[in-house]
Amino acid sequence: MKPEKVITVVQATSILVSTIVGVGVLPLPLFAVTAAESGAPFATVVAMSIASVGLVIVTMLGMRFPKLTFPELSERIIGKWLAAPMTLLIIAFFAVLTALAAREFGTVVVTSVLKNTPIEVTVFVMLLLAALSARADVRSFSYMHMFYLPVVLVPALIIAGLSLKNSNLLYLMPIFGNRRPDFFGGVFTIAALFQGYFIMTTVIPFMRRPKKAMIASVFGMGIAGGLYLLLVVAVVAVFGPMETKNLLWPTLELAKTTALPANVLERLDAAFLSVWVTAVFTTLLSSYFLTVRNMNELLRLKDHKPFTFFMLPFVFLIAMLPENVLNLYQVIEIVGRIGLILTLLYPGALLLIAALRGLRGEAA
Amino acid sequence: MRTLVTAILSVSALLLLTGCWDRLEIEERAVVLSIAIDAADPEVVEKESMVNSKNRKSEHSIPVPEGKTVRVTAQIAVPGRIPLGPGGSSGSGGSSGGGNPVWVLESYGYTIDEALQSMQQEVADRMFFGHLRVIVMSEEYARRGTGNLSDYLRRNPEVRRLAWLVVSKEEAAQYMRTAPQLERVPALYLLSTMDHAVQMGKYPMEPIGSFWIKMSSLGQEANLPYLELQEKNNVRLSGLAYFKGEKLVGVTQPLEVGLFMGLSGSEQGGYSSYVRIPDSEETAMFRVSNRRSKTRAYIKNGRPAVEVTVFLEGNLTEASDQGKGNLNTQEDLQKIGKDLSDRFSDRYVTFIRYMQKKESDIFGYGEYIRAHEPAYWNRHIRTKARWQSAFKDMDVKVNVTFDIRRVGQKAQ
Repeated sequence: MKPEKVITVVQATSILVSTIVGVGVLPLPLFAVTAAESGAPFATVVAMSIASVGLVIVTMLGMRFPKLTFPELSERIIGKWLAAPMTLLIIAFFAVLTALAAREFGTVVVTSVLKNTPIEVTVFVMLLLAALSARADVRSFSYMHMFYLPVVLVPALIIAGLSLKNSNLLYLMPIFGNRRPDFFGGVFTIAALFQGYFIMTTVIPFMRRPKKAMIASVFGMGIAGGLYLLLVVAVVAVFGPMETKNLLWPTLELAKTTALPANVLERLDAAFLSVWVTAVFTTLLSSYFLTVRNMNELLRLKDHKPFTFFMLPFVFLIAMLPENVLNLYQVIEIVGRIGLILTLLYPGALLLIAALRGLRGEAA
Repeated sequence: MRTLVTAILSVSALLLLTGCWDRLEIEERAVVLSIAIDAADPEVVEKESMVNSKNRKSEHSIPVPEGKTVRVTAQIAVPGRIPLGPGGSSGSGGSSGGGNPVWVLESYGYTIDEALQSMQQEVADRMFFGHLRVIVMSEEYARRGTGNLSDYLRRNPEVRRLAWLVVSKEEAAQYMRTAPQLERVPALYLLSTMDHAVQMGKYPMEPIGSFWIKMSSLGQEANLPYLELQEKNNVRLSGLAYFKGEKLVGVTQPLEVGLFMGLSGSEQGGYSSYVRIPDSEETAMFRVSNRRSKTRAYIKNGRPAVEVTVFLEGNLTEASDQGKGNLNTQEDLQKIGKDLSDRFSDRYVTFIRYMQKKESDIFGYGEYIRAHEPAYWNRHIRTKARWQSAFKDMDVKVNVTFDIRRVGQKAQ
């Protein structure tokens, strides 16, 4: 199949940013302080570097085969019989990731805003919305991301910025943390929050100039990582590492303590939640899109639309599996770390083999 | 066909997205403005609690927390009776006038939640805590420990982190019933007491969120405003209630709140001090207008030590029997400023020493040690309990500079 070349560098960047920034912003500071207490920003930076390595690998792989989608290029490199099961694993992984993100979203909404609404409804509606939107072609897909990106970024920056007036620099010191209770465990959990970067594999074949994919990657990771880092710094500086440990969704709590100047709005959590719904939506859209596109390419079909609703019941069922909120976060942690193997080590191995075998796709 | 399916799905999404399950008309909410927590008599609780003693006799009974009983008094806004805007009862409203704007209810239980549950049994509408602005707890309750209350409030997403938690000398329930002259809604009067204290530099801006942050910090103890009820239903902010862990251990003098604010460098100054005018028997009154402080924590002879520099700016507000003392030249003011600096540094040190004796580090010097001397902290401290005892033997040094800026609009 010959992909149409429609995506510009700016669009690729915004897809990357709005895919990465998602439901994870809420518990992120909690993950970071459990890793390193006051060293939370440091842990975030380390996690970001790990994710950046993965992103660079994926981007280099995509640039090496600018016309091929990920399932196609992996077949080219390691052969059909090895690549197909791996692709299937990736499809399954992103289906699970979509499900977990939807479930996490539902949990937050049901706990803090719509307390009487059944969680099945919030989760299902969100998944339905993602499925409906994932039927779009690549062009509309990229427009959706570009359209929503400012809606996500600007308010998040405002909340983080305004909250800094209550901050206490002591809480960020020592920068490596007094104790590092579970440093690498925590770092991997945070790195897993960046896993949306895998969307680059789907984006690059559709880029007008795949040669510039690396620019999009660097900016995308810079913006998303910068936002994550800013939120961690703001939360820890305001609450202190010990209080952050007591909060299930510290970022939401931050929005709750932050008031607009002159008390225009005394608490920003309602505003923050509506923004965050958008952020979750774009993330779900991407991971859903990734799942169905990869399925489509694995089976060599013309159109990915039939899969969107076919997948819905499965994703929904997976989303409903975790028993409670604590169990949910256990599962998210485990799945996230397994995912690092799929999104970091597997493309790394592919790139290595491609380089050793001297394989290269024709230029776009 | 496919378009039809898509259309149906989109319409159903639209319908589902409205969140109908949580629709709650505003007049169907019982808006709780303020609650009071008191320690209760176990016998009364036994009778009033939803878990009665018969239930607890058998082996498979409902377990209740031992020895912890509370009385919760809530102030619920009565819709239509809250005066909107100025005017009050004197006219315009007509039908809305008259009657108490709030409804005060009380209930008992072993925990806060249980008491509120049993209160809900008496209220037709669902109680709503989104507008809860002031939580009063009695000193007696606070001395027993605040963990229960904090836990309940933290878990409830409706409660704001910007609500005030205050400690009362008397029974907290009284604060729900007082009807002060300036404001028809008692809760709002309490709220403006606190808000204005912050504006006038009488108390730092430390609502319940800051209380929780300090309580969780390893190198710091929490503090709360301490209120006292006066004769005519008026409320006096009369000190700082300080904690050790989750328990209240003591209360300071009202003026010591100013010392606390100076040491922590809260900018807006609001307290005054007497000083003797040099070469005379007269005294003058100076009001601090701005404060700033710098804290340096270090390790001296293997022990934590702290050096605080407090910068104060102030104005002359009153001289007793003026004319006899000399207050007319810059040199006089400088001399007095020097005198004030010495006195203040003495008072600051005394205050810190007093808090050290109580093992309550409300200044957060432990946090400075944790942040700046991590090696020492990691080797010797690490826990809150160990900091409490290390704080006791900490070496303290305070430097003060007091600059007098203005003398008001009176020459001579």
